Amino acid sequence: MLSPVEVRKQVMDYLEATECTILESSPVHVTVKLSPRADRMLTDRPYYWGFVERTGVDPETLSFSFVFDPQKYDELAAQAAAQAARPRSGGASRPAAADALPGQAGAAADAEAGAELGAAQAAAPGGALPPGVSAAPEDSILARYFGVVPALPRIGPGMIRREDVTYGSRRLRQIWSAARDEGKCLQLFEDPGLRQRTTLFSAAYEPWLAVCYKVEMTCDLKREELHFIAVSLTSGLIVPDFEARLASKELTPRLPENIHVQPSELGIKDGADRLEGYLTSKLALLDYTWAEEARQRLELELSIVDIYYAELLKEEDEEKRLSIEEQYNRRRQETSWQYEPQIAVSAVTYGLFHLRST
Amino acid sequence: MTQLFRNSLPHENVTSAPLLPVPLSIERNWLHDLESRLDKGGPWGDWRLSRLAVQGEQSGLVTSFDELQCMKHLNGLSPLPHQLDTAHKVLFQMSGRAILADEVGLGKTIEAGLVLKEYLVRGLVSKVLILVPASLVLQWVRELNAKFGISAVAQKKAYSWGNDIVVASMDTAKRDPHKEMLLSQEYDMLIIDEAHKLKNKKSTNYLFVQQLRKKYCLLLTATPVQNDLGELFNLITLLKPGQLGNQGDFATNFVVDKRQPKNEVQLRGELSKVMIRNRRGEGPVNFTKRKVRNIPLTLSAEEKELYDGVTAFVKDQYQEAGGNLSSMLSLVTLQREVCSSRDAVFVTLVNLIKKLPADSPKRERMMGLLQTIRTVKTNTKAEKTMELIQQMNEKVIVFTEYRATQEYLLQYFREHGLQCVTYSGGMNRGKKDWMMDLFRGRAQVMIATEAGGEGINLQFCHHMINFDLPWNPMRVEQRIGRVHRLGQENDVVIYNLSTEGTIEEHILHLLHEKINMFEMVIGGLDVILERFEKKESLEKSLYKIVLEARTDEELRSSLDDIGDTLSELTHADLDESEVAP
Repeated sequence: MLSPVEVRKQVMDYLEATECTILESSPVHVTVKLSPRADRMLTDRPYYWGFVERTGVDPETLSFSFVFDPQKYDELAAQAAAQAARPRSGGASRPAAADALPGQAGAAADAEAGAELGAAQAAAPGGALPPGVSAAPEDSILARYFGVVPALPRIGPGMIRREDVTYGSRRLRQIWSAARDEGKCLQLFEDPGLRQRTTLFSAAYEPWLAVCYKVEMTCDLKREELHFIAVSLTSGLIVPDFEARLASKELTPRLPENIHVQPSELGIKDGADRLEGYLTSKLALLDYTWAEEARQRLELELSIVDIYYAELLKEEDEEKRLSIEEQYNRRRQETSWQYEPQIAVSAVTYGLFHLRST
Repeated sequence: MTQLFRNSLPHENVTSAPLLPVPLSIERNWLHDLESRLDKGGPWGDWRLSRLAVQGEQSGLVTSFDELQCMKHLNGLSPLPHQLDTAHKVLFQMSGRAILADEVGLGKTIEAGLVLKEYLVRGLVSKVLILVPASLVLQWVRELNAKFGISAVAQKKAYSWGNDIVVASMDTAKRDPHKEMLLSQEYDMLIIDEAHKLKNKKSTNYLFVQQLRKKYCLLLTATPVQNDLGELFNLITLLKPGQLGNQGDFATNFVVDKRQPKNEVQLRGELSKVMIRNRRGEGPVNFTKRKVRNIPLTLSAEEKELYDGVTAFVKDQYQEAGGNLSSMLSLVTLQREVCSSRDAVFVTLVNLIKKLPADSPKRERMMGLLQTIRTVKTNTKAEKTMELIQQMNEKVIVFTEYRATQEYLLQYFREHGLQCVTYSGGMNRGKKDWMMDLFRGRAQVMIATEAGGEGINLQFCHHMINFDLPWNPMRVEQRIGRVHRLGQENDVVIYNLSTEGTIEEHILHLLHEKINMFEMVIGGLDVILERFEKKESLEKSLYKIVLEARTDEELRSSLDDIGDTLSELTHADLDESEVAP
């Protein structure tokens, strides 16, 4: 669980790393024009980007208002709107469209949208709401009707769509997965600092193969662990919690001047073998009661299934019996699928880190 | 949170390291990726993004086997305690296979959503199939998206099945070519709403669901035990074959006759392993009260004349037709409409006349009735309704059975300066939503002809007026259910308008006095009705009585008989319902 402040930090990191243009920012929100790179990852417009690639036109990226603390943001916006509305109260008032005869609803909807826009513009001088920011999507009748698909007038250049980005929101998940897509495979060098450039001797660098492993322990339930471990390709030394070692260092993607990387004793694949061996031995030390219990549940369930089908399998009719047998096997398979304990290990991020030898 | 790994049906070649007591599989695609990038000299990832990805993983990590994670991921949803309890039980005691059998209105959909979300968050589920009645498909999609942030899509075209989380109607899914496609898939989770439709193990629905490959499975139904215990057995067999032993064991251990269980305690124990049934009126869910005000009205002389004219006409026609009910439906409608408004009678009457041959002798009599309609200048009920609304000065929903009455009321209220909106079954989804928004926002009155179907939730309003009454108690219950539901904070006041000396008075007496349907929250109303209607539908029985009764006395006593039967069934059900946990 992340607080709005933490969420904001992560989103801002992403926007900065992808060179988006921040138009406006406050502790509770950020209004941003996406960079082409971020737009491709976040807006799900493959056709548009295909069009841009083929015709070579300048891409027009989308802008968003990401709101991290919707409640506070709305309070601020309401205050601002109240201030702005006082001098020209007529502008924002809604048409008295309580009449609801069939056929008038459409017209009323337009009027509603107009009023919303009017309100947003009226709010602009107040400062908290940038022009064109529309109300939260779940409030709009169109959004409700079309489900999650953004209604057409709300997207496109010039319109800034408001989106609440909180922990658990789709957008945050998307940002993380976009970050993983672009950041999973690394080759980095420790920045030796300015002094190294002028010293006489070149500094020795040690290559490390590092992997952030995600371990998923699954039965009918699940538990997960992350292990960020690295192996030195020169010495074969393994360092758990490699992240801690990286924390104090400046890293750069460029090969710094006046350094040399020590030749590797281990190949990448050997390194990977060692990491996996190490991780496996680590995992072997864990408590496996959960797996034991899951197996017991599985046995119990299977015995229930066996007893149930034993009777049915006495069926005389060959054809019927075959179909029951098929059903029986399917049910047994499903049950194993549901309960069988297993561990799956995959890599979240991985790469080579060249660090100064100590 | 990225889905890195999805377990599937066990395959033969799982690599197992000797060290671990559990099969271990290590995914190594990263190695190829890294090697190929080293060959090509890039491209390399951004260190900031890489750290962000790890932080994302970290924050979504499921650190414990037995703790609900989903609430962290849900904003703006505050499930009730019994809903969270249910989700907890399904995950940790039932291992994801359960019948959710809460009584109507306790939020089974929310419970299913919580369970689904939890499994999604844990990464135990990614491929999901949700089968519901066609009318509920969009509602499910909306709720999952809006309340749970789950990207479910409605099945529209064949390619929709390719999505991870699909909501489809059972009727579509079980037909070819869809059926073949679905049976070739593996579903991490299957959810079936209105699962009592699966009670017959010979039906295509049942066989289809039995064949689907599924890991976790939720069956949602408000009425798990409808008529006989065999059906419950079938439902559980679908979920977990053998849970209650085989058919023979079940019969010897638990069944005396179709409806009567034995070894109840044991049965209840077995059921509680696969079924969760929360009931209204127990546990932490407190529904507000229902207050009923019956408003007796006296018809004006003109209205009375019209009523008598129509009644006499209807009865004569029935005699003439020799008591054949099926051809009489429009006439019964006429009889009912005359209690509502002259506009409603007018429309039906004109339509009837149009259908008659030009020389029919009935024609003259019906034209006569039209003339009588013309003399009626006022509507006693509408006036009273107006008065009520002005007195309460709060939001109120007015129900009528007839479109003509609805339109008349709209005109009438408008003329008197009330802000009102209409709501009817024929409107499309978007318009319904729009009307509901208007009602929530600025209108004081909603005039509705439809109460059933999906998703009109009007908890913000706690007055309702039954301008006229449906003769089907389920429809009455549906009406009340619109406002009297979870989230309603006030006592609900129900006004029933009934005109003295008309059939309406008797119907109200039947519904109110005999089955006490307005005040009691009858969870099992549908069960009672289904039993009663084994012979004939209640509505039909009522029609017959109305048409056949020669005197008021006779009418009253026949209706009383029905009332007595119903109230007996009500009590019988209360006793029997003890069986289900």
